[in-house]
Amino acid sequence: MKKFNLLKSAILAVLLGVVCFAFTAAPERITVKGSDTLVILAQKWAEVYMKTNSGASIQVTGGGSGVGISALINGATDIANASRKMKSTEKEKLKARYNTLGVEVACAKDGITIYLNAASKVTELSVDQLGKIFRGEITNWKELGGDDQSIKLYGRENSSGTYVFFQENVVMGDYATNCQTLPGTAAVVNAVKKDTYGIGYGGAAYAEGISICKVKKDANSPAFAATAETIKTGEYPITRYLYMYLRNRPTGEMKKYIDWILSAEGQKLVVDMGYFPVK
Amino acid sequence: MKKLKVFLFLVVSVMALNLSAQEQSQAEKISELNDKVNGLLERAATSESDLSKLTKIKVSGYIQAQYQNFESPALLAKSQNYFSLRRVRLKFTYEATDGVKFVLQPDFAPGSLSLKDAYVVVNDHWSKTFSLFVGKFNRPNYEVEYSSSQRELIERSLIIRSLYPGERAIGAKLEFNPSSAPIHMQLAVFNGNDGLTVTNNAGTNVNATDNIDYDNFKDVMARITYNLTLGNFGGLDFGAHGYFGAAKSNALKTLSGDYTTVSDIKFGDRVSRNWLGGEFQLFVDVLGGMSLKGEYLAGKNATIGYAPVAAAGSAAAIPGVANFQNNFAGGYLYLIKNLGKRNQLAFRYDFYDPNTDIKGGQVKVKGFTTTDAVTLANKMSGKGDLATSTFGFALHHYFDDNIRITACYEIVQNEKVGTTGLLTEDYVQANGVKVAKGLDYSKVVPANVFTLRIQAKF
Repeated sequence: MKKFNLLKSAILAVLLGVVCFAFTAAPERITVKGSDTLVILAQKWAEVYMKTNSGASIQVTGGGSGVGISALINGATDIANASRKMKSTEKEKLKARYNTLGVEVACAKDGITIYLNAASKVTELSVDQLGKIFRGEITNWKELGGDDQSIKLYGRENSSGTYVFFQENVVMGDYATNCQTLPGTAAVVNAVKKDTYGIGYGGAAYAEGISICKVKKDANSPAFAATAETIKTGEYPITRYLYMYLRNRPTGEMKKYIDWILSAEGQKLVVDMGYFPVK
Repeated sequence: MKKLKVFLFLVVSVMALNLSAQEQSQAEKISELNDKVNGLLERAATSESDLSKLTKIKVSGYIQAQYQNFESPALLAKSQNYFSLRRVRLKFTYEATDGVKFVLQPDFAPGSLSLKDAYVVVNDHWSKTFSLFVGKFNRPNYEVEYSSSQRELIERSLIIRSLYPGERAIGAKLEFNPSSAPIHMQLAVFNGNDGLTVTNNAGTNVNATDNIDYDNFKDVMARITYNLTLGNFGGLDFGAHGYFGAAKSNALKTLSGDYTTVSDIKFGDRVSRNWLGGEFQLFVDVLGGMSLKGEYLAGKNATIGYAPVAAAGSAAAIPGVANFQNNFAGGYLYLIKNLGKRNQLAFRYDFYDPNTDIKGGQVKVKGFTTTDAVTLANKMSGKGDLATSTFGFALHHYFDDNIRITACYEIVQNEKVGTTGLLTEDYVQANGVKVAKGLDYSKVVPANVFTLRIQAKF
């Protein structure tokens, strides 16, 4: 092989760089993937935004926060929706692949709602009781003032941000082995709707046709239902931010879209869809 | 009329009987279906339980196939260009229970089947802050722990490859990763001689058994890093690590790194190997991701000699070789720029001076001359004392989530000796003709390498 000197190498490197830039095509459409909790809101945002911005093309899919963040790391999506914060291991992967720390955009607030069947005699539970129920330490409704019947647990898959958030903030341990995992919050609501002795958790926006359980911070605190007011004041004890993660600081169409989501118009849709605004 | 009444009674009775039979039949059917559903639910629960066990096993891996062209004339007689499989790895991770993980990673590269990782990780359940690793795993160093499937230049820097041969070592490591602060600490204890060559008087490596220690001395490594977020600008990770170890002396003398002083040492005494390193990784969000990463290491390294063997019968005496303790320094600097979602350009400059106690111009000039050649062999500085610097650049194209194509060119420069012909090596041409003193270290000896690699990862 012909001997290269430093100058020739530098010229070659610049040429390679130019070739790379030539391959770098501007994104034709914005892809959004991730949290099932956020998916209905994200779809609404996309739908309304595309109506008013005819040139924009936004594709929204769910799959869970973990799936969305993985897709962001491997370049399969432009925006990852997440109902939890990005883990440090995920940030390390993003650094390794894209040399960025990612950009976190808090786009809505949510209260994790406890779903009970409409016929359930139980109306309120403390965070501690919920932890015991989902760890499998309380197994009969009788212990909570209900019928003498086994408690049926319904939850999300471990790729879900809601699963992770609920585990870290309420369960504080391993989920009971008999907790039935379901693909999506809608499936959890549906299961509880059909099961008199079922209990599940998920986003407030999905709570239809079931009884919403009031939650107490501890045994001596008053119980609150997840409402805009109780979430804003912090009285409802299981609240969280919902996030959009990007690889880089947004530019062009992406920036326009993110700015619109955080605008009064975008945040109004948050309320319309049953979530809570960030401000 | 009476007949009609009897007839109607009979008809109603038959209908009632029929309805009752139908109800009974339907109840039986419902009961049968209920049993079937219950049976299916039971089977589904069993399947789910079996499946959940399988989900605890994760398999990942990658293959790196490459074509390389070497400039070195020393390879003329063999091959200066060839295809090869650099890494063929499968990684099995089994999460037995929450917080306990087993990892096994063999490498199936042709002709060199080896076990890369084999360790257990136990995470503490209470504070969720500490993790204990036991087995064979990467030594705590940034470039060592950075996955080969992600690395921006095709091989690690020369200094890292020299100080941490094979990257892994057998031992135990405690990691501290608090969730409340962006600080990470690692403290590891290793056998410490993993991958080192310790030759005896017959030229045999006495440290060839990978699985046990060569001596009783255990080496300690510590590393601490901090992740600083720089707002919208990016982030800076910085830290330091230290290696504090020793190897057992097999010789009765130790020679200083400048080849001037010999000191006495007992057989079995400690020969220290200590060094420190400082590192940083700067991530900047400028028109896509960009990073600047660097590390500098310096300290004292050692090679182990052997004791003299007295003449016995017809066997001649074998003079001993002194242990050698020298200072070294080296480091690397990467500049990496992502270009869109699929391309990445990387540059690296790395250098390694294995012996900072003498300069290139002093090689073969300074040397220890023994007063008793039967007991101790003379030792002259040479090729092993010369510094090497490498400038490499690579272009990566991510074809999809699994495939990465890399073109890499590395320009290798050796430190030059003072005088032409002072330090030379022979080499053999492709036609078998030997070129005496063909490689002259008073100039740059050709050693550049071009690599075209395809990596498939899953």
